[in-house]
Parts: sequence; structure tokens; C-alpha cells
Amino acid sequence: MSLILPKNTLSRRRLLQLSGLSGASLLLGGCALDIFSDNVGQVFEPLNQTFEELLLSQKPVPEFPKIAIEPKQLLINTYDETPDIDLDTFQLTIDGAVNHPLQLSMMDIQKMPLTSMVIRHICVEGWSAIVQWGGVRLRDLARLVQPKSSVRYVYFKSADGYYESWDIASALHPQTLMAYQKNGAPLPVENGAPLRLASPIKLGYKQSKWVTKITFVNKLLSAKGYWEDQGYEWFGGL
Amino acid sequence: MASSIPYQGTKRKVPPLPSQTLLSKIFHWINIISLLLMISSGLQIYNANPVFGGREGWHFPGFLLLGGWLGAGRHWHFAAMWFFSLNLLWYGIYIFITRRWRHRFVNGKDIKVLQTSDNIKRINYAWHRLVYTGIIPVLLLAILTGLAMYKPVQFYWLSGLFGSWQILRTVHFITIPIVILFTLAHSLLALKVGSVRLVKSMFI
Repeated sequence: MSLILPKNTLSRRRLLQLSGLSGASLLLGGCALDIFSDNVGQVFEPLNQTFEELLLSQKPVPEFPKIAIEPKQLLINTYDETPDIDLDTFQLTIDGAVNHPLQLSMMDIQKMPLTSMVIRHICVEGWSAIVQWGGVRLRDLARLVQPKSSVRYVYFKSADGYYESWDIASALHPQTLMAYQKNGAPLPVENGAPLRLASPIKLGYKQSKWVTKITFVNKLLSAKGYWEDQGYEWFGGL
Repeated sequence: MASSIPYQGTKRKVPPLPSQTLLSKIFHWINIISLLLMISSGLQIYNANPVFGGREGWHFPGFLLLGGWLGAGRHWHFAAMWFFSLNLLWYGIYIFITRRWRHRFVNGKDIKVLQTSDNIKRINYAWHRLVYTGIIPVLLLAILTGLAMYKPVQFYWLSGLFGSWQILRTVHFITIPIVILFTLAHSLLALKVGSVRLVKSMFI
């Protein structure tokens, strides 16, 4: 260090001052940047969605063995209260741009082929749980009502007022289920009984509980989903 | 990256100013800015469900966070990830094509110096090269663990390599303290090896 000229030692001090100042301004700048969050989302959500759609395939996601199930990891997230649903009068309505709109009771649904899968359920918050879900494939329900060829999206309405919308490709994925079983037992009400969405290809907030109505549509409405309308990304693919 | 070692023979002679290629400076700037965005938005996401302790775990204070809430933190994180990862990608191609990786990064000579040399300047220089070379696999690890959580369906084999989701999250998070420690060590070593002139050469 003997070769450093005096003016350089001065500028080293200056440098340290500057780095301290820029550090402080970064912290303050961080808060100022928050107001641009929506813009950042608007610019990058389409790009990220294209990327996610490119990666999406109809190939089944590899499943886990039953011993890998993590019953305690699955946390309960609801935006409101757990609704009271009378099983005797419960009807799942499937309508929209379809040839044969339907109303199905749980008895009707349970007579259809049961699909079981052990998959990882991943929450937007960062946690995950390996869960077994059993239910009827949404694509089997779609086959019953026959959506028109113009259908691009599916809306899900829940008994608690929650609403969601999915792209049709994800909805018809072979592991997208309307589930009524969890970890080998009947679906508990806090997990969405009698009927909920379950899929390994979407984040947890896309997987509506207490679904009462499935509507096939050609276009997305301005209301895309409860959390999406608060600012979460719409596609939410995994 | 030091481009010149101070002369050792001639007394009182000022060594030539160190200089960096424009591409190295661009990489360095984009890397710093995108990492700051990744870290601050990453801590915002962390707070939604702390890696250590879950919802009851300790949360990072607000002034370190970017976005203000989980949804916005994710917007920032999944925007900055493109700059961070593509910057590292083109830089990797650049050092490969120009063969910089052979002479600008730590090699056998540096290791030998660290083991046997008494020349303190040469030792510092070897440490400097060792440290900045060592951060590259850490940055790659941050990307790989991030990808394994962002796209666990397509990259199930990558997610599977880490054993459990908790390990995956922990490894992804640990890259933050490593990067912060690296920044301290890297700055100090750069000042030791080439003084403020070397630091300036990388920024301006």
C-alpha cells in the first residue's frame, strides 16, 4: 500500500463516505420503489405467463409415494369463514358455453371414476405439503357438459363467495381434480368439503374450496379471481 | 477482477491505472442492482411464511423489504430474476468465448501461493481471486434452487435433488447471507489488492 499517493487515501475515505451514503439511499429508495410494484407486475406478468404456458404440458406430473404424505404441513388458508353446506341439497352446477349444462349431487359425482394422486401442494406464501387428493377429473366433468370449441377459460364459484378463473388447458390437465378425499379420508370441511379444486400445476390460491359452480367461458371477465383482483398473478402456474 | 498487480521493483513509481473491459463493468453493475432487487423482494416473500419457524417465526423488518406485501414482492422477484439470471448467462458465455476463465479466475497457481508464498501482496491477490471466483457457484445455486421452487413441475428432478421442500427453501435463503459476507470480503480484498483505483476501475 506504500505506493498509494496521499490524494488516493483521501479518495478512499471519500469512497467509504459515498458507499455509506449510497447504502442509506438504497434503503430509503427501497420504500420509494414500492409504488412501482404494480407497473413491474403489469410489464412482467405477460412475459412470465408466456413462459409458464410454454412449459405447461398435458403430461401427468410425477407423483410421490404414499409414505411421503405430510398431513401436518397442509395449513388452512381461507379469506373468510368456513361456509355451512347442506350435503342433502348440495348441487354442483356446470354451465356457461356448453352444450349440456348440468346439476350434479355428490352422489352423482361419486359414481364417476375416482382418480387419486399424491402430489405437492404449494402455497404462494412459500410453504408446501405433500397431499393425497381423490376425486373426479375436471376433464371428465367437461366431457359430460361438452364445452363449445370457443371456450378458453373456466370460472369457479365457491359457497363462501370466493371466485377463481383458470385457463382451459390447465383445467383439462389429467391431474386437475374436483376432489372429495384428502389423505385417504373424506375431505374435511376446512379443506373445502364437499368439493374442491386440487391440482399439482397451480398454486394453492387457484385451488378453490367449497366449489358450487363451474362455468365455461370464452373470455375472461374483469373479475379474475379473489386474490388476482388484489394483485396476485393470474396464471399462478407451477 | 484485478487487472494489474502493483509493481514491486521500482520505487515510487505509480503503476498504470487498472482498467476493466466494458462488458465486465456492465455485468458487475447489472449483477449488483438485480441482486439488491432479488434480495429485498426475496425477504418480502420470506416474511409471508418465514423459512425458519413458519408463521410464528422471526420476520425481517420493513425497511429491508421491497414491494410492501407478498403479491408485490413476487412481482419484483419474478421480474428481477430475468435480469439476474440472463446477465449471469451472457457473462458465462463471454468468459468462455474470450477464455477469460483461464486467466481471470482462481487457478492452481493461486492455490500454491496461498499454501507456500511469503509475498503478502501475492497472497492477498490470490485470496481476492479465490473469493470472487467462489461467489459464482453460489449465484448459480441461488438460480437453481429458485427454479426448483418456481417450476417444481417441470424441474421435479431438480427439486428432488434437495430432498425436502424445507431444505430447498433453506438453501435458497442461505445464498443471501453468503452474498452479503462475500460483498464485504470482496470489497476489502479489492481495496487491499488495488486500492481505490482498482475499485473505481470496475465501477466507472
